[in-house]
Amino acid sequence: MTKTVEIMAPAGSYESLHAAINAGADSVYFGIEQLNMRARAANNFTTEDLKKIVAICKKNNVKTYLTLNTIMYDHDLTLMKKICDTAKNSGVSAVICSDIAAMSYAKSIGLEIHLSTQANISNIEAVKFYAQFADVVVLARELTLQQIKTIVKEIKEKKICGPKGKLIGIEVFVHGALCVAVSGKCYMSLGTYNASANRGACLQNCRRSYKVIDEETGDELLVDNKYIMSPKDLCTIGFVDKLIEAGVNVFKIEGRGRAPEYVDTVVRCYKGAAEAVSNGKYSKEKIDHWITQLEKVFNRGFWHGGYYLGKKLGEWSGEYGSQATTEKIFVGVVQNYFKKNKVGQFLLEAGSLQEGNTILITGPTTGVVNGKIEKMIVNDEKSEVAEKNSVVTFKVDKQVRPNDKLFVIKEKKSA
Amino acid sequence: MPKIVHYRNKCIGCNSCVEHSPNNWKISSNDGKSDLIGSVKKKDTFVKKIREDEIVENELAARDCPVKIIHIFK
Repeated sequence: MTKTVEIMAPAGSYESLHAAINAGADSVYFGIEQLNMRARAANNFTTEDLKKIVAICKKNNVKTYLTLNTIMYDHDLTLMKKICDTAKNSGVSAVICSDIAAMSYAKSIGLEIHLSTQANISNIEAVKFYAQFADVVVLARELTLQQIKTIVKEIKEKKICGPKGKLIGIEVFVHGALCVAVSGKCYMSLGTYNASANRGACLQNCRRSYKVIDEETGDELLVDNKYIMSPKDLCTIGFVDKLIEAGVNVFKIEGRGRAPEYVDTVVRCYKGAAEAVSNGKYSKEKIDHWITQLEKVFNRGFWHGGYYLGKKLGEWSGEYGSQATTEKIFVGVVQNYFKKNKVGQFLLEAGSLQEGNTILITGPTTGVVNGKIEKMIVNDEKSEVAEKNSVVTFKVDKQVRPNDKLFVIKEKKSA
Repeated sequence: MPKIVHYRNKCIGCNSCVEHSPNNWKISSNDGKSDLIGSVKKKDTFVKKIREDEIVENELAARDCPVKIIHIFK
């Protein structure tokens, strides 16, 4: 099999952006200002960041996709047009939209369009309709593998092409959070808090535990799993060969709200899996290894297969928050890096270190650097332990930069 | 005198405040976020004194703000 698949990573911060690039992502997606599905996120990029992101990505031969995929109201149209114009001028590869207003404006200025999963494209006629605007469509996350296969087959048979004149590309989510509702059709957060999920402001109250009470008698029903609305996360690492065989061109990784080490790990696993499929080395042992790696970073437990492998009722999370098997503990910051000797100098302002510790360093230019402490110098003397507030130097294979954060990775006790 | 304090940076431009109190709120054509009309910038916030009879509609704006950045002081 020689088909190559594009690995698309989420970039919610400069740290994640660099982590994605360093891990081998072929493309990244990100939002600016508020008309995107992570409008609530603390560190959203601004219009000023756009050119910088595109420049960084172009230098690294990585494509850039700008998310502009919320529902839009009349009062949003001015901003939407501004964002499209800026995207066009900045040389963004494409915008990801779902609202017809955004699609038709982007088309009018010759900006490439990809259709968001928010449009829940689930059949070939929908693909045909959207082909007037888009060159790539993200299919609904709720389709089965067979349905995806049929759609791809029909695109080829009917020669359904986008504005660029090429067959419509098919993109699917391969990893990350699933929604209790069909993507784009959930009004729970809006109905309860006026915080619309479809405007990027989801409060995720579906993720909490719930009780069921009979109002007439006050009796509480015994619910086996109180997390009745919180699906586990999608994981497809065990059947990426099937997705490629079905004709999927782009593997999209969910998680613009996730930490850089999540982006790093998930991109590396799926990139590795896609490469293994193309050179015939995709194996059970490798899959097991990737799953262990994926379990170390944020997850709500995995639903291996998601809707793709059949429409049985989703698997429910059973716990609040992450079930990652490791956790990161902030211990200090980088003060200096001596390139010649590949040595980093750190100030342990928040915690202590020991020889043998597994460490993680993250920074807006550095992205993610993983390592292990072999030997260290503490306050100018050799030592096996470094207490809080000491200055430490040890070998770091890749360049790190002043003010990058240093973390220790520990096994999680509860996991 | 009652006042409104608006943490504008985090606004997602949902327009709820404009619907509740159109005389006090307006979506900016510049960046799509909500402007507190006639307010004064104080550090990260925008502050405006309002009349007693404007409290109710602005309390509704504060209640319905999805990112909880509107605060009313009576």
